[in-house]
Amino acid sequence: MNNPKYLQQSVRTFEHSVMKILIIEDEAGLRESIEEYFTDEGNICEIADNYTTALSKISLYRYDCILLDITLPDGNGINILKKLKESNHTDGVLIISARNSLDDRLDGLNLGADDYLVKPFHLSELKARVSAIIRRKSFNGSNLLIFNEITIDLLAKEVKVANVPIKFTRKEYALLLYFIANKGKVVSKNAIAEHLWGDGIDMANNFDFIYSHIKNIRKKLIEAGSADYIQAAYGMGYKFSES
Amino acid sequence: MKLLTRYNQVNIISTTVIFIITGLIYYQTISWILTNQKDKSLAVEEDEIFEYVHLNNKLPHIFQSEDQQITFKEVKNDSVKRQFIDTEYLKKWDNNNFHKHHHKHKNRDEKEPGRELISFIKVGDKLYQIQIIESKVETEDLIRIIFIITFVVTLLLILVLLLTNRLILGRIWRPFYNIVNQIKQFSIAEPKEIQQPDTDIEEFSELGTAVTLMATKAKNDYTNLKTFTENASHELLTPIAVINSKLDTLLQTENFSEVQSKILNDLYGAVSRLNKLNNSLLLLVKIENHLLNKSQRINLKALIEETAIQFEEIIADKALKLNQTLKEKEIVANHYLIEILLNNLFTNAIRHNYKGGEIQITLNAENLIIKNTGIDEPLDDSVFVRFNKSANSEGSGLGLTISRQICENFKFTLNYGFENGFHCFIINF
Repeated sequence: MNNPKYLQQSVRTFEHSVMKILIIEDEAGLRESIEEYFTDEGNICEIADNYTTALSKISLYRYDCILLDITLPDGNGINILKKLKESNHTDGVLIISARNSLDDRLDGLNLGADDYLVKPFHLSELKARVSAIIRRKSFNGSNLLIFNEITIDLLAKEVKVANVPIKFTRKEYALLLYFIANKGKVVSKNAIAEHLWGDGIDMANNFDFIYSHIKNIRKKLIEAGSADYIQAAYGMGYKFSES
Repeated sequence: MKLLTRYNQVNIISTTVIFIITGLIYYQTISWILTNQKDKSLAVEEDEIFEYVHLNNKLPHIFQSEDQQITFKEVKNDSVKRQFIDTEYLKKWDNNNFHKHHHKHKNRDEKEPGRELISFIKVGDKLYQIQIIESKVETEDLIRIIFIITFVVTLLLILVLLLTNRLILGRIWRPFYNIVNQIKQFSIAEPKEIQQPDTDIEEFSELGTAVTLMATKAKNDYTNLKTFTENASHELLTPIAVINSKLDTLLQTENFSEVQSKILNDLYGAVSRLNKLNNSLLLLVKIENHLLNKSQRINLKALIEETAIQFEEIIADKALKLNQTLKEKEIVANHYLIEILLNNLFTNAIRHNYKGGEIQITLNAENLIIKNTGIDEPLDDSVFVRFNKSANSEGSGLGLTISRQICENFKFTLNYGFENGFHCFIINF
């Protein structure tokens, strides 16, 4: 079996890993955006714009994660998922669908997809989900996510800066993970709001809460001795980066 | 007025009128025939008198019988004409007939209707006027009996007519009422079809065919419209997804001016609203099509508490007082839809509240009541109508429509009320 590279190392930290991703999506505009968003960190993105290409790619190469649009012009994406599972490949699969139906979601997950994302979505949300899939798949047993001096125990949901534990609320913790998954990117406030509250809760003052959550995260991190990684970006969103 | 009632009304009136007219004609005819007969009998009597006079050349001896009186009167000139007239017959009571009638008649003499023949005869040189009067009482009795029999028979006829009408027409019209009932229960969104009535009456089977055809057509049109809405919403998802991803990509290109950031922000907001609106429409179509019917047991109390935690910070931010009185309640419904329902009702109660206001949530076995303070006047019932929203609301205008649709889907009712300054949304299970 053609094992992915990361399995050969027992302990790896997330921030150094290079992701190899296959984007199966027939809509050019969307495909290019995803590709661009995922590539510029040294990640490897391959694309397939139809069912046939996708099938040949998955039979030849292994990926950390496959983004699978199930409505393709020349075939049903679900069959690609079935093929993968039949050949016992362990590639992570995230289904992207315009069909927000519970049945599709359950079908997809039952067939072994790792996650299901409904169009339209924010690229930052996609990135966070893909990161989560890869983390779950790669760290067999080790649940540490390390970013410079920040260490996050994903099982215990504990954040430490230089071994000093920091108490985060549920939302602050989720937000920090979201930022780290999208490090170096500007994440819009809309994307953050949808990530934290889902689309069920639609309030105009959500942005105020985002502001106060971020203020709290920064304060707690800095007090624990971490550098200040979060910057506001043009009033549209926030960016988590080293510089 | 029911057709049967109207039919019976017309029937009874016309039957009665015809009966009265027939009765009158009948009466007149019989009366005429019997009078004729009386006249003949009077003429026979006259003949007898003539014969007697002819043979004996003198007037016969007058005797009184029970219903015949004959009198002779000498007259001077020949001004007397022979004629039949109706007259009164003065009944003389003797002991015999007194016995028969004494309980009925106090007077010994009694006037009865009679028929009189006035004639004349010459006996020698003298001219005599003959008056023969016969009582008509028996004739009248006969007529009365005939009349009564006719009347009773006619009444009986009407009665039988009414009864048969009721029975037979009731049965004949049954398919019609069957169709009417089906039309009343007809819902364009339900899969139930209108059944063709089982009848051999052409009009009704034609009506049934027409109604079934119409219903099928209406349903088809409605389904097409729904399919169109669903397809349109689905087709919209991809372009929205592209816009969204392009915006996210654009955001990564550095160095925005303040004006540009403002424009980008507005774009994000608009796309987000467009997306929510589209999702709401899709959701509505799905609920109406019963596509989300996978039900499970839901502990409503736990779910409400969970939802309240979700809204915790928003409630705290608006300094709202949240009162929860929750009893254990389990319902069988689609979890996803009930979540949406609770989210919508919570959002509503918070959004239309004022700072420092109050929210009361009561759950018991019968109902769930969500009350909130807000503007101090009741809302009209159009709150549940699509896209009906207050001018300054940032919602989609579909929240309550969706909520009501969800409730109807699980045979709950969602109603609005206003009491003591509280806007109440009540779900009855």
